[in-house]
Amino acid sequence: MIGQGVSQLAVIIVAAVFILPLLIVVGYSFKTQRELYLGSPLAIPHSLNWDNYANALYRLNMGTSFLNTLFYTAASVLIIAIFAAAASWAIARNRGRFFKFSYIYFIIGILIPYQALFLPIYIVGYSLHLTNSAHGVILMYVATGMSFGVFLMTSFMSTVPVELEEAARVDGCSLYRTFFNIVVPLLSPAMATLIIMESFLIWNDYLMASLYVSAGRLRTLTVAIQSLFSQQTNDYTSAMAAIVISVLPIATLFVALQRYFIKGMTVGALKG
Amino acid sequence: MQYASLVAPGMLVFTVGLIVPMILGLRYSLTSWNGFTRELPWVGLVNYVRILHDPYALDAWWFTIKFTFWNTIIQNFFALLFAVVLDTELKGRKVYRTILFVPCLVSPVIVGFVWLRMFSDVLPAINAALGTNINFLLFGSAHTVLSGLLIANNWQWIGYWMLIYLAALQSIPKELYEAAHVDGASWLRRFFSITIPMLAPAFTICIVGITIGSLKVYELIVSSTEGGPGRASTSIVYQIYNTAISGRQYGYGSALSMTLVLVLLIVAVLQVSALRKREVQL
Repeated sequence: MIGQGVSQLAVIIVAAVFILPLLIVVGYSFKTQRELYLGSPLAIPHSLNWDNYANALYRLNMGTSFLNTLFYTAASVLIIAIFAAAASWAIARNRGRFFKFSYIYFIIGILIPYQALFLPIYIVGYSLHLTNSAHGVILMYVATGMSFGVFLMTSFMSTVPVELEEAARVDGCSLYRTFFNIVVPLLSPAMATLIIMESFLIWNDYLMASLYVSAGRLRTLTVAIQSLFSQQTNDYTSAMAAIVISVLPIATLFVALQRYFIKGMTVGALKG
Repeated sequence: MQYASLVAPGMLVFTVGLIVPMILGLRYSLTSWNGFTRELPWVGLVNYVRILHDPYALDAWWFTIKFTFWNTIIQNFFALLFAVVLDTELKGRKVYRTILFVPCLVSPVIVGFVWLRMFSDVLPAINAALGTNINFLLFGSAHTVLSGLLIANNWQWIGYWMLIYLAALQSIPKELYEAAHVDGASWLRRFFSITIPMLAPAFTICIVGITIGSLKVYELIVSSTEGGPGRASTSIVYQIYNTAISGRQYGYGSALSMTLVLVLLIVAVLQVSALRKREVQL
C-alpha cells in the first residue's frame, strides 16, 4: 500500500515536470506585455487575452503560413499514401525480380534520414528549379516519405485477401480499377496510420521547409516561427500564441486518431 | 507489366528526391565545387583527408557522438521505467501516458525555443520563489550546454519511446508471468527472466531509433543555442549547413554529409545483424 502511494506521488511529480513547459507556453500566450515584464514568469495570466493570437495571425502573418503548412502536409501525405499503397500492392502480388529489387530499393531510404543528405537534396532541387515552389517541397516530402510508406504498407498487405481482387479481375475490372475500388478501401486502416505518421513529421519539419520554401508568401509555420525567434524580438507573448496555433492541429489529430498513431509507431517494434 | 506501372510513380519521385542526391553527393564530395562554377574541379579524396585535420568538423562530430551516447542511455532508461510503471493498475495511467507523450508532437524548432525561455526566465523564477540558487542558465556556458540540450531533447522524446515499450510489454503473454508466479519467482526475478528477454525486439528498435534521431540533430539547436556558446553545441548537420549553405563549400560539405551517411549505414548494419542473431536463437 505504501509502495503504491509512493509510486503514485512520484508519477504525479514527473507528470508535473513534463507538463510545466506546455503550461508556460499556453500561459504566456494569454499574457499582456505588462504582465510579461512586471509579473513573474510563473504567474497565471489575469484574463483570457486573445490579442496575442490576433497579433500572430494578422500582424505576423501566421494565417498564411498556417494555410501553407496545411496545404503542403495534406498534399504530401495523400500522394505518399497513394504511391506507397500502389507500389506495396504491386510488390506483394508479384514474385518477379523487378519487384523484389523495388522493395529493397525503397527500404534503403529508411536507414538514411534526409537530414544526412539535405545538402545534395538542396543542390538537386536548385538545379531542377524546384526551390521556392510549393510543388518542389511537396515532391521532396513525398520522396523522403516513400521508404517508410512502403515499409508500413507491405507489412499490412497480408490483411488484403487475394480472392476479392481475383473476383474483380474475373468480372473484367482493370488493374487500376481493382486497385482504387477494391484494394484502397481494404487498405484504409494502413493508409490512415501512414497518413497520420507522415502528417506529424511534415507538419513539424523545419530543415526541408527552410531550404525549399523560405520566401515570405510560401513559408511554413516552423519557418515563420523560427524567423520570429531569431529576430531577437521581445514579443514572446505573440510567439507563444503562434506556437499554440502550430501545435494545436497536430495535437487534435493525435487525440482523435491515437489508435492509428500508436499502430504506426509500433509496427516496426513488434515485428522486430 | 501493368503492375510495374503501379510502382513507377513512387519510384520515380524517390529516385529524383533521394537516390540521385545520394549519388551526386558522393560525386560532389570528390570535388572542390563552390556552387558557382559550371565545371566540378576533381580533387579525389582531399576533402576526406581535410576532415581529419579540421577542428570544426572534428568538434562537431565529437559533440554529436556525446549527444547521441547520452540520449541513448537516458531515453531508454526513462522510457522503459515509465512504461513499466504505467503498465500497472495505477490510477489515471492513461492521463499520465498522454502527458508524457504530448511533447513529441511539438516541432523540435519550437522545443528549442521553449527550453531557451525555460532556462533563461522560467526556472530562475522558481529559484526566486523557493529561495534556492540552482544554476539554470545551462545554454550560457560551453560546459553545461550539452546537459541543457539533453534535457530539452529527452523531455521531447521519452514519451514516444515509452509508448513503444508499453506496446511491447502488453504483447507479452500473461501466462508466462502466472507460471513464474506459481513457481515462486520474485518480482525482480520475473522482470529479469521474462520481461527483459521478451522486450529484446523493442530494445533494438528503440536503441537504433534514438541513435539515428540523435545523429541527425539540427532543428533543436537552431532555435536554442545556434551551435554556441562558441562552437560548443554545433552538431554535424549544423556544421554541414554552416560549411555548405552559409560558406558555399559544396564539395567539402558533401564530404561531411557522406561521413554521416556512412555512420548511419554502420548503425543499420549493426541493427540487421542484431536482429539476425536473435532469429537464430529463437
